[in-house]
Amino acid sequence: MPIQTRRSEDGRTLTIQIEGRFDFSTHQAFRDAYEHGDPMVKGYVVDLSDTTYLDSSALGMLLLLRDYAGGDSANICIENCNSDVRRILAISNFEQLFAIR
Amino acid sequence: MEDTQSVDQPLRILIADDSDSDRLILKTLLGRLGHVVLDAANGLEAVQLFRQASPQIVLLDALMPRMDGMEAARQIKALAGERLVPVIFLTSLSDADALVRCLEAGGDDFLTKPYSRVIIEAKINAFNRMRLMHETLSHQRDLIHEQNRKLTDEQKVAKRVFENIAHTGCLDAASIRHHASPMSIFNGDILFACPRPDGGIQILIGDFTGHGLPAAIGAMPVAEIFYGMTSKGFSASDLLREINQKLKRILPSGMFCCAALVQADFALNQIQVWNGGLPDGWIIRSDGSRQVLPSGHLPLGVLDASRFDATLAILPTSPGDTLLFMTDGVMETRSAQGDMFGDSGVAAALDGIGRDLSPFDAVIDRLCAFSGGGLEQDDLTLVTLEMAGGGNLEGLSDRLPLSALEGPAEWRCTYEIRDKTLGQFSPLPLLLHICMEVPGLRRRSGEVYTLLSELYTNALEHGILGLPSEWKATADGFGHYYEEREKRLDDTRAHFIKFRLTHSMTDYGGRLVVVCEDSGRGFDYQNHRHPHDGGLGYAGRGLMLLHRLAGPLTFRERGNHVEIVYDWHFSEAGKTASTAVTKSGVSHE
Amino acid sequence: MSDRPHLDEEALAELQDVMDDEFDVLIHTYISDSAERILSLRAALEAGDADALMKTAHSLKGSCINIGAPRLGVLCREVEVAGRASRLDEVEPVLSTIEAEFRQVRGMLEGFLAD
Repeated sequence: MPIQTRRSEDGRTLTIQIEGRFDFSTHQAFRDAYEHGDPMVKGYVVDLSDTTYLDSSALGMLLLLRDYAGGDSANICIENCNSDVRRILAISNFEQLFAIR
Repeated sequence: MEDTQSVDQPLRILIADDSDSDRLILKTLLGRLGHVVLDAANGLEAVQLFRQASPQIVLLDALMPRMDGMEAARQIKALAGERLVPVIFLTSLSDADALVRCLEAGGDDFLTKPYSRVIIEAKINAFNRMRLMHETLSHQRDLIHEQNRKLTDEQKVAKRVFENIAHTGCLDAASIRHHASPMSIFNGDILFACPRPDGGIQILIGDFTGHGLPAAIGAMPVAEIFYGMTSKGFSASDLLREINQKLKRILPSGMFCCAALVQADFALNQIQVWNGGLPDGWIIRSDGSRQVLPSGHLPLGVLDASRFDATLAILPTSPGDTLLFMTDGVMETRSAQGDMFGDSGVAAALDGIGRDLSPFDAVIDRLCAFSGGGLEQDDLTLVTLEMAGGGNLEGLSDRLPLSALEGPAEWRCTYEIRDKTLGQFSPLPLLLHICMEVPGLRRRSGEVYTLLSELYTNALEHGILGLPSEWKATADGFGHYYEEREKRLDDTRAHFIKFRLTHSMTDYGGRLVVVCEDSGRGFDYQNHRHPHDGGLGYAGRGLMLLHRLAGPLTFRERGNHVEIVYDWHFSEAGKTASTAVTKSGVSHE
Repeated sequence: MSDRPHLDEEALAELQDVMDDEFDVLIHTYISDSAERILSLRAALEAGDADALMKTAHSLKGSCINIGAPRLGVLCREVEVAGRASRLDEVEPVLSTIEAEFRQVRGMLEGFLAD
C-alpha cells in the first residue's frame, strides 16, 4: 500500500505516510486514510519521508485534509520532505497553512 | 448492430448438413431447446441463408456437396465482420489434420456424431454466453468511442466559447512573446494579457489544479474578471482580491490556481508583480543581469478574503528589460532519459541569452533540445514581456463612431474619499467610468485615465503620505519608497482626497476640468523648478506626464489644490487632445 | 467383420425420446436417404470415382452413427478410407457387405416404426 496510517499511543495523533508518488492516483486512498477517523484524533502528521514526488493535486488533497481537520484551526504537520517536495511546498507557500518540519 | 439479448432468449441457429436424417435430428433437437432453426443441405445454401437471416450461431457439416463446410465457414465469418457468430463443425471426422483445417477456416468448436442432446445444449449455451459477452463488449466499446467523440466535440465547442470570453487580449502585442499548447486550456493553464487604460499592460499567467473540463471551467470567471477590471482601470491588487474571492467561492476545496499577475507601467518604467505558487519568474535586464521573482503567496482560491495578501512587489525597470514567467509544465518537461527540466534547466537557458538570443527563444530552444522534439504535446505555458521605452499614452483605442452629442455633455460631479478608505479603495475606476459616459472622451480613455490616476497618485503619495519622489531615483530608495507607502497608508485618519469633474461642450469639442484637492500639507509650488528644467519638477515624473498630456496645471492654496483642463476636439480621432503642449508649464493665480 | 451390434438400442431409445412424433419420419428419411447413397456408392465404384466414393461413404457413415447403426457406420468408414487411398479393388467386398447389412438394419428399424 502506498499509503499507511498509524495512531499515536494516546490515540490523538494520526500519522499518514505516503510512499512514492503523491499525486491524483492516491486521491481516494489519501481521503480514506483520514475520513474514517474517530473523534479522538486531534492532530495529523503527514509523513513524506518516502514520498518521491508531489504534484498540485497532492497540494489540493492537503487542503482537503486541512478543511476536514477544521480549516484555520487544523493541527497538521508535514514532516520529512525531500528537497524536491520541499521546493514544491515552498513555491506554493504552504508553510502559511501547515507546519512543515 | 444487433439487439442485445439475454441468455435465455431463443436463438436463430443455422444448420447445414447434406444428410437429411442428420439434419432432421439436429433440427428437432434444437427446436425442442426452444431455438429457431434454419437448415441448409450444402455450404452454398448455408451462406445464402446466413445473408438473409443473419443467424446467431451456425452449425456446419464439414464435408458437403457444392460447397464444403470449411469454405462456408470462411464466407460466413467474413460476412459476420465484427460480430461474433460462433461456427461449430458437425463431424464424424477422425483425423487430426481435418479437424485442424476446420479450425483454420474459422470454426470455433466441434460436435461429433452421434449427437448427444446434453452436449449440444451445453455447447450452444456456452457459445451463446460468449456471443453475448462479445456483443456487450462491442456495444460498450462503441459507447466509449461515441462518448469520446462527444467529449472531443464538446471540448472543441467549449474551447471556442472559452476563446470568445478569454480572447487573446493583447497577447499579440509586439512586446509580448508567448507559448501555450493548443489545448492547454484543458490542462488548466491560463494566459491573459490586457492593456490598461493608462497604456500599460497587465498579464495573468496561471495553472489550475487538475485536468480537463473542471480545470478549464475555473478559467472562465478569471478571464472575465481580468479583462473587465483591467480595462476599467482597477488596480492589480483589487483584481487579485476579486479573482481570489471568486475562485475561493466557486472552486471545490482542494482546487486552486497557481498564478502570477504582472502590471507593467511603461510611462513610469516599473512593474508590479504578484506570484502565488508559480515557478520563479525573472527580470532579465538589458545589461544581462537577472533578478528572480519567486512565489511569495499562496495560490489564488486558497485563502479567505480576510487572509488573502494582494501586495504586489514593485520593481523599477529600464527599456529593454524582459520579464519572464512560466507554468509548472516547463519545469516538469522530461527528457528521453526521464529527467526533469527544472530550475536548473531554466537557469542554464538564461545563461545562454545573448545579443542574438532573446530570453524567450533561449528557454524554448533549450526546452526543445531537452525534450528532444517539439513542444506541441506538452502542457506548458511561457510568456515574456519586453519593457518598451517611454510612455505609450494612447492606451485603449476604442473604435467607436464619433457621436459626441449623445450621452451626457454638460455635467459636474464631486467625489471625495476619506479616512481609512484612502488606504483601501481606489476611486479611479469609478471616475473613469463617469467620464466614459461622454462618447468624445471614450476615445481617449487612456489619456483620461492617466490624467485621473496621476492626479490621484500625486495627491495620495505626495500630498497625504508625504513621500518624496526623489527616493525612487535609486534602486534602494525605490523599495524604501513603497515600504514606507504601505506603512503610512495605515494611518490616513482625518485625510481626504476630493475630485471635482466638470465637463462642458465647446465649439470644437468638449472640455473636461478636473480639480483634485487633498488634505496634505501641499508644497511650495511658486518656487518649484519648471518641469522642463530637469525631470523632477513638480512632484516627479507623474505630473510631468500630466503636463505633456493636458497642458497647464494650476496649483492653488498651499499647493494641495490642482486643476487641469483637458480639451478634446471632434476632429481629432483618438489622438492627443492637448491644446497646450508647447505652452509654458505652471500658471498660478 | 465388425463386432459392433446392428443397432444401438440405447441410442435409438434416446432418438425416440428426442424425436417424439417425428421419429417415424426420421426412420423413413434415413432409410430412403441411405438406400440412395448405397446406390451412389455402387455407381461411383463402377465409374471408378474414388473421390465420390469417399465423400458418399463419409456422409453415410455420419448418418448411420447418428441413427444408431454402428456396424454399418464402421463398414462405411472402411469404404471411406479405401476411397481416400484410391484402393478401389478393396471396395467391392465391403460394399456387398454394406448392402446386406443395410437390408438387415432396415428390417430391424421398420420394426421400431409405429403401426
